Amino acid sequence: MFLTMKVAFRNISRQKKRSFLLAGAIAFGMLAITLMNALTGGVVGNIRDNFSHALGGHVFITGREWTDAGQMIMKIRSDANLDRLLEENASQIEAFTRRSQAMPSLIFGSQQTMHMVYGVDFSEEDKLLDSLVVTHGSLDELGSKDDLIILPQPVGERLGVEVGETILIRLETLTGQQNVGEVKVAAFIEDQEELGLSAAYTSRAYLNTLLGMDSHEYQMLNMFVTDLDFVEGFARTFREGLRTLEEEEEEEAEPAVTVTVAGMPLDPMGEQEELTPWEGTRYQVMNINQIMEAVELVVGVLNQVGLVIFLILLVVTMVGITNTFRMMMIERTKEIGTMRAFGMHQKQVKRIFLWEAVLLGLLGCMAGLVLSGVFAMVVGSLSLNTDPSLQFFLNNGKITFSLPIGSVFLNTALVVFTSLLAAYWPARAAAKMSPMKALSSHT
Amino acid sequence: MKKIQRISAVVLFILVTGFAAHAQDFSHIEAILERIDDQSRFDGSDFSAVLTMIVEDSEKGIEKMVVRQFRRDDGERFLLLIQEPVTEKGQGYLLEGDNLWFYDPSSRQFAHTSLKETFQDSDARNADFGSNTYASSYEVEGYLEDTLGNFEVYIIDLKAVDDTVPFPYTKIWVTKDTDLVLKTEEYSLTYRLMRTGLFPKYTKVGDVVIPVQMIFVDELVEGQKTQIAVSEISVSAIPDHVFTKAYIERVNR
Repeated sequence: MFLTMKVAFRNISRQKKRSFLLAGAIAFGMLAITLMNALTGGVVGNIRDNFSHALGGHVFITGREWTDAGQMIMKIRSDANLDRLLEENASQIEAFTRRSQAMPSLIFGSQQTMHMVYGVDFSEEDKLLDSLVVTHGSLDELGSKDDLIILPQPVGERLGVEVGETILIRLETLTGQQNVGEVKVAAFIEDQEELGLSAAYTSRAYLNTLLGMDSHEYQMLNMFVTDLDFVEGFARTFREGLRTLEEEEEEEAEPAVTVTVAGMPLDPMGEQEELTPWEGTRYQVMNINQIMEAVELVVGVLNQVGLVIFLILLVVTMVGITNTFRMMMIERTKEIGTMRAFGMHQKQVKRIFLWEAVLLGLLGCMAGLVLSGVFAMVVGSLSLNTDPSLQFFLNNGKITFSLPIGSVFLNTALVVFTSLLAAYWPARAAAKMSPMKALSSHT
Repeated sequence: MKKIQRISAVVLFILVTGFAAHAQDFSHIEAILERIDDQSRFDGSDFSAVLTMIVEDSEKGIEKMVVRQFRRDDGERFLLLIQEPVTEKGQGYLLEGDNLWFYDPSSRQFAHTSLKETFQDSDARNADFGSNTYASSYEVEGYLEDTLGNFEVYIIDLKAVDDTVPFPYTKIWVTKDTDLVLKTEEYSLTYRLMRTGLFPKYTKVGDVVIPVQMIFVDELVEGQKTQIAVSEISVSAIPDHVFTKAYIERVNR
């Protein structure tokens, strides 16, 4: 085997130009698919990170309860069970935040706009504060004063307000009563309005007052986990730990049936969930992967499109390889005859050709990987200060490439397999050649 | 020491009896609220009218809206069908007891909404199109006697008894002789004035008195107000099927 490999390698080295062109074609395909996979992998990672920062965590817990008037409201009170779970899983929690939220009208003079406002405890929101890009004003006073608000720059422009001026915030309490507050604009920030994640931030205590909640209550508990790989299990722990006996009984009585079409859950139109009021708080636990499902679906489609293009490129290359190997066989007819006359077996002749194909494929793959690495390093080092919506796909303004090792092996295996397939018939024809006829050939 | 205790007891007694006497004073005001509510209800007949709404917005300018209203207070029902502008034509609000549905012909879907919500982009609320519920929804916190223009009025401070009304605090100007609400001021939970309502013209339809001109001023957004004129008033019986979802859908076919 070593001999056949050696001969194959010598043959490739003999025809440098031809080998370079063949390996180059393979390298181009490998470069394209590697970059596509690495780019989509990086984009998914960045979107996940940016989503986590914008939403304030990887795992999100919300609570619902019924009022005496039969109204369902979103609220989390002090809960010993929740505190116990937080304590028990503290080692897996990097940080957690408690937030309230509202969709109020922000009013300044004759201008008004509706916008999402999160009520946050700025003392526990280091990650959020680090991720905000302040365009005007300062975040310094946020911890000491309650009636301050951070507005996305476009919202400030829409209202025509300046930093330091006071705006009105009109909203409904949790039970639907009208309320109005006054907040001073502390700073403007860049936002991702195009992606529906634009939000203003104010003190949770103040927003709670306007929503009709106590200052220690909140609506969402967001947690950053130490290891994203275990986020599903972590979320499950909380989901199961917070489930009441009543909920378990209801689930057993009415098993959830989900109709899916092509893997996508199908929700019957117009059917509204009839809820029977319950005692206490019921929790909903979501994790970042559930939010990312839609993004990953799109990325998965992109990767599949990339793979199809890669396969088309491989087929074209395969035709080239087959033709080249046929030419090589004709060129080496006398050489094959000589080798066969000196006792080389048919299998060995075939193996020489097949090893040449494998080596060409591997060389092409390596070249493609090296080129894509160089490309990723160059492009990844550039800072892109473009559209704010584009920033959401980037990591601090830079494109990130992340290539799963599995896809490298898969793509390499595909290349080697197609090269082998392309060289198989010329190799077989070369092996079956009669030594007598080969030696008497004029080629 | 005993003297101080005695004085304290006397002061306490005066305060308690004073508060009790004051609370009793509200009974005639509560009676006024009940009369206001009663004379706004069409208990024995149906009611229909055309509402012409002029919505003034500093950003969007002036918009005209024409709405056909059908109302049956027995069973708390009403139907509001938008006829103008063309872009909103066919949209409807159907109140069936406690449930208020909004129908959008473009999606052909009914969505649940609330009497507390604003009507379209105007300053009117869905609750403004039904009968008054001052007596049941509010408790009297105090009152004053004053004049508004040429009218002698009570200015009554009201506080909502529960969360069923949009504004937790309201102040109403009620004529002493006819129990007509001429003006309202509605306040937020933080007691900030949010909306002023003016009712300069009333008409009598049978035993019911209804405002035929209403002006709602948004006190938070400068230059924003809505005027509503009520015309083509009728108390003829309205067929039952009008107060159904099927009717709104059929009207839009």
